[in-house]
Amino acid sequence: MSVVEYEMSAKFKQYAHPEVIVDTDWVDAHKGDPKVRIIESNEDVLLYGIGHISGAVHIDWRRDLQDDVVRDYINPERFAKLCGKNGIGPDTLCVFYGDKSNWWACYTLWVFQLFGHKQIAIMDGGRDKWLAEGRLVVKEAASPEKTIYPVPSKRLDKEIRSFFEETLVFSERKKQLVDVRSVGEYKGEITHMPEYPQEGVLRGGHVPHAIHCPWSRAANTDKTFKSYDELKQLYEGELALNVKDETIVYCRIGERSSHTWFVLTYLLGFKKVRNYDGSWTEWGNRVGVPIEKG
Amino acid sequence: MLPEKLREIVELFESFSEEERRESLIAYAEQSKQYEPLEEEAFDLQDIRKDEECADSVGLHLKVKEDRRVYFKIKLGPHVQTLTRAMASLLCEGLNGSLLEEVLELPQEFIKRIVGGELYRVRSQTVYYILTRMKGICRVCKSRCAVG
Repeated sequence: MSVVEYEMSAKFKQYAHPEVIVDTDWVDAHKGDPKVRIIESNEDVLLYGIGHISGAVHIDWRRDLQDDVVRDYINPERFAKLCGKNGIGPDTLCVFYGDKSNWWACYTLWVFQLFGHKQIAIMDGGRDKWLAEGRLVVKEAASPEKTIYPVPSKRLDKEIRSFFEETLVFSERKKQLVDVRSVGEYKGEITHMPEYPQEGVLRGGHVPHAIHCPWSRAANTDKTFKSYDELKQLYEGELALNVKDETIVYCRIGERSSHTWFVLTYLLGFKKVRNYDGSWTEWGNRVGVPIEKG
Repeated sequence: MLPEKLREIVELFESFSEEERRESLIAYAEQSKQYEPLEEEAFDLQDIRKDEECADSVGLHLKVKEDRRVYFKIKLGPHVQTLTRAMASLLCEGLNGSLLEEVLELPQEFIKRIVGGELYRVRSQTVYYILTRMKGICRVCKSRCAVG
């Protein structure tokens, strides 16, 4: 991330890849930088229209990133068009932020990584921290000059994405598999997060042998990420995960696990972490597949 | 059959492009404070709670006039989603002045015509939440009237 030249905080310096995280001060200073594109991605898909960081473009996780008819992501051609429309070139530093502790920002960053976009960062604390600090938001949608983004040769599904069959192997072989949902979802008492309609999944429970660590344990109350030492103690100490072993993370549809994927990959430097985006809405609904409860 | 004002709103939204639809929903969401109850205001029935499936508390306040026409006020917690805020304003505007029975008999299919297929897919249950709560408080009101 060569364009980032600033006095990095002591907290960030400790992370395995400090180049992929910036703070609100940095974003405020660089929001007009032509080498940088600020991208807002939210669960509340109308929130961008209420107010956003000046110059930030909006990427809607459903409309912009999902295929219309297959449960899958857009293809490389559509990704190139999406980037072009939003003024993103192959060397543009994309800084993601959003609501819900950056779930969807991490998810969109992860999708950008699926297409091999290398210049990426998360704004620590996301939209809530920006607003809590009383920083300026605007209503007018950004309209950056269009670019031509080269169509990626492939999607990096094998590198950072896990499918059902691969997750099944991890389950059967008792490899590092982390369920990041709430306690109630993991135990099978509910099928969606608390405070959401309980819909979309027939069975409650978790993938056999998955260990449980809610995504929220990696976040502070102000929505920022916890420090390197705190994260290391949690994932490598308490959960005894090995940084060198392959890891698969999952949740319900892949957004909360994107948060944990980001933490393990970039903040702690785990060697190979994949996000099982089919997650519980696939596993919990699939015919003939075992689950565990409790 | 939709009450006149609600029918106009539905038809207006149906004429919108997806972009206009989103902009209008945001505008309605931003008006939601207009429908908050005033401190000194009195109501016939109030239903203030935070349900499991909603991100924050939603308070419904209902007045029923002698001609059985209903008037809603709604107070939303700060974490309520934009779409739910929009539905609160829109339903207050569209239903205030309707007969109690008209609200109870409303078919819910009109919600999808307002929200549109794209947003409906994202939150297919959430969009019905405010209407369900409105019908709920009307149902309680009707049964109390019957008992009284």
